[in-house]
Amino acid sequence: MTDELASAGDVAEGEPLVEVRNLKKYFDNDSGLLGGVDVSTEFPFVERSPTHVQAVEDVSFDIKKGETLGLVGESGCGKSTLARTVLQLLESTDGDIYFKGEDLTELSGEELRTKRKDMQMIFQDPQSSLDPRMKVGPIVEEPMKAHDMLDEEGREERAKELLEKVGLDPQHYNRYPHAFSGGQRQRVNLARALSVNPDFIVCDEPVSALDVSIQAQVLNTMRDLQEEFDLTYLFIAHDLSVIRHISDRVAVMYLGQMVELADKEELFENPSHPYTQALLDAIPAPDPRAGGRTAVLKGDVPSPVDPPSGCRFRTRCPSLIQPEEYDVDDATWRDLVEFQRAVKRRAFETTNREELRRRYFDGDEPGGEAGDVLSEALGHISQEEWDEAETLLTESFAEQSVCATEEPAYEIDSQYGDGRHYAACHLHQGIATASGSDAGVNEGVTSDTVADETAEPAD
Amino acid sequence: MTEPLLSVENLKTQFFTEDGTVRAVDGISFDVHEGEIVGLVGESGAGKSVATSSILRLVESPGEVVDGEITFKGETLFGLEEGPDGEPQPSEEMLSEEEMRDDIRGNEIAIIFQDPMESLNPVFTVGGQLREFIELNRDLSTKEAEQEAIDMLREVGIPDPENRYDEYPHQFSGGMRQRVLIAMALACQPDLIIADEPTTALDVTVEGQILELVEELQEKYGTAFIWVTHDMSVVAEICDRVNVMYLGEIIEQADVDDLFYDTKHPYTQALLDSMPRPDETVEELNPIKGVMPEAINPPSGCRFHSRCPEAREVCTRVHPEPRTVAEGAVADADAPTEAAVADAATDDGERPHTVACVKYDAFDVGYDSSEPLETEATGGFSAGLTDTGGEADD
Repeated sequence: MTDELASAGDVAEGEPLVEVRNLKKYFDNDSGLLGGVDVSTEFPFVERSPTHVQAVEDVSFDIKKGETLGLVGESGCGKSTLARTVLQLLESTDGDIYFKGEDLTELSGEELRTKRKDMQMIFQDPQSSLDPRMKVGPIVEEPMKAHDMLDEEGREERAKELLEKVGLDPQHYNRYPHAFSGGQRQRVNLARALSVNPDFIVCDEPVSALDVSIQAQVLNTMRDLQEEFDLTYLFIAHDLSVIRHISDRVAVMYLGQMVELADKEELFENPSHPYTQALLDAIPAPDPRAGGRTAVLKGDVPSPVDPPSGCRFRTRCPSLIQPEEYDVDDATWRDLVEFQRAVKRRAFETTNREELRRRYFDGDEPGGEAGDVLSEALGHISQEEWDEAETLLTESFAEQSVCATEEPAYEIDSQYGDGRHYAACHLHQGIATASGSDAGVNEGVTSDTVADETAEPAD
Repeated sequence: MTEPLLSVENLKTQFFTEDGTVRAVDGISFDVHEGEIVGLVGESGAGKSVATSSILRLVESPGEVVDGEITFKGETLFGLEEGPDGEPQPSEEMLSEEEMRDDIRGNEIAIIFQDPMESLNPVFTVGGQLREFIELNRDLSTKEAEQEAIDMLREVGIPDPENRYDEYPHQFSGGMRQRVLIAMALACQPDLIIADEPTTALDVTVEGQILELVEELQEKYGTAFIWVTHDMSVVAEICDRVNVMYLGEIIEQADVDDLFYDTKHPYTQALLDSMPRPDETVEELNPIKGVMPEAINPPSGCRFHSRCPEAREVCTRVHPEPRTVAEGAVADADAPTEAAVADAATDDGERPHTVACVKYDAFDVGYDSSEPLETEATGGFSAGLTDTGGEADD
């Protein structure tokens, strides 16, 4: 690389390059003329009640220079929306995004366009992210043209140099994208992102569409390039194996919120949020003697239009915390939660009290107040009053839990390494080292915490 | 050991394109026994899906099954015999199109596809589609079929099936849709279900739910499965026996435990090595070099030699047929024809571990004395992918 192209690099290695604070992104759910309009038979007959999809809700984190932050979660949890909002490809609803100390949300269009020189993105589908009517060389040159870099000859020279760097033949400069395989196209995408010499690249599922053998080649190349060009990656994937391979730190998202953030080793060896544990339990190891997955998470992700209160994972959480007013043992409490969810899903047909008691409680029924509620609910079910039973159970059990009434945010001690460990789960209420807005994700807010973070990220 | 439920012998399916003949499936043989889950693994383009379509005779022009024999419960799904003019023609025992449609597809052999959105009609309700399928295949009245459909939906874990019966496919999540397809496949209680990458498009958590469901249902109904996938973890989790495909051929065939713990073929080994592991941190991945060549003009000799780290000169000349190499079954390798291998499978009850690689003694073609081949995979050159673009020149 020539000196002229060397990055300004005003952020030291290990210091936060990107700081995201309380970022929110809502989508209007009611586009169109009649969007959000409800018609009823009573006055005023027509009502407009706008709803929003809360795609990203109050997310804060830092990405340190030179590191790879992995972002995982199920489909629909807002990973891609978060990434696009960080780059301001989508306008944020609320919150701040600092890139090298500058707030991106306050920049005007043209300032932002110039800034994009330092922030690039790689998309999931290598097929549709390349213009089929452009040759590969000009594709790689395009961002340089947009940012007025070099002259025509210089750009061609740099394009060829980059093609070689990403493991393609520079002589492929004049080929069309269709002549390349999926893995090679993803390499072209890499070359294009690198052409303007960015500091920060957001990679949105860059290897999900590739075969395992090709996936490994591309991942290795991405790592080599990171070292050579001193890049910072925000790496999105739904595949935890890939995340474990490439990341330095890992953030786990669920339904628009960040539930856990820690160093890679710490997160994989000491997962502290039930959702992370469930995700890890769900991956099968490539080993027939491993005995398969242990516990599989039940149910689907709830709608982000009307997410659960408190901890958003509580409707599927296997370790929902018992409300204080009840006093039943843990096993029975789990049976109760199981039963409440089964009623909600209408998972059984029978309305027979005794059969239900046997199936869900196995003779070990809760006593006291909880037992009264259960009897009442079973009474409703035997009358086929499903909705009443559901409401009663949900209101008396699920919504009384601390998980439903308070939003969790805790920082706990790391078992592996000395990085910070943020886990949004009330189970850590007693042992957390910090909670609420002081917890982990806001590192770097004050100058003294920054000083603590100057150590090299664990590799 | 009993007769296999489905037996595929030397199946060849080719596509006649303008650029030449694509030998998508080139002489594969495998058996599926009652109640077992047989895996068919390989990268994209290995010919997995073409193989399963061939079994159901769903290959359409310009593709054609050109050779081989497929028998299912004593019936010939596909077979050829020599016609009067010396050209092969469909044999007499081969089922007609009508018999395939009425008796086999759906009733005896069901199929689940990868993309559940494309397999369901978006303008009909989920319940209606399931009901219609049951009505047509099982001679039930509309009312009975509806009840059966609701029961099936509950069976596969759809919450609140009575109400969801009247919903449309877009109102279901991906995992739910895949459950509907499983319900559909199970509705006629077939003996064999072909699952073509059914969990590839799903999240791990949902994939876990679906695999759990399949295992449960398999135990209950005793259905055999052919499980097509590219994911070795899924194979490890549910398959009993595995066939590894590369470029239209089966290059290794073994029980699942042997495949992972006594891996024989360099390709299988490379595939396992190239996977990032969820349970440990691997510093550097060991990818398979290059990309899979086109099936239109496959490499001579062993088709994997262009990417094989252990390739030697002899690999470019000798084309290996799968042979039994595992301990205990080696005695059968004296007459190592495919038939002998197949016999070994049915006779002594011990399923053989067959592999198509000349580095094993069973082949005896002078691998040890052969010169190592200079390819990028063997460390011949240091460059990355630069020469693999060559395939695009054609």
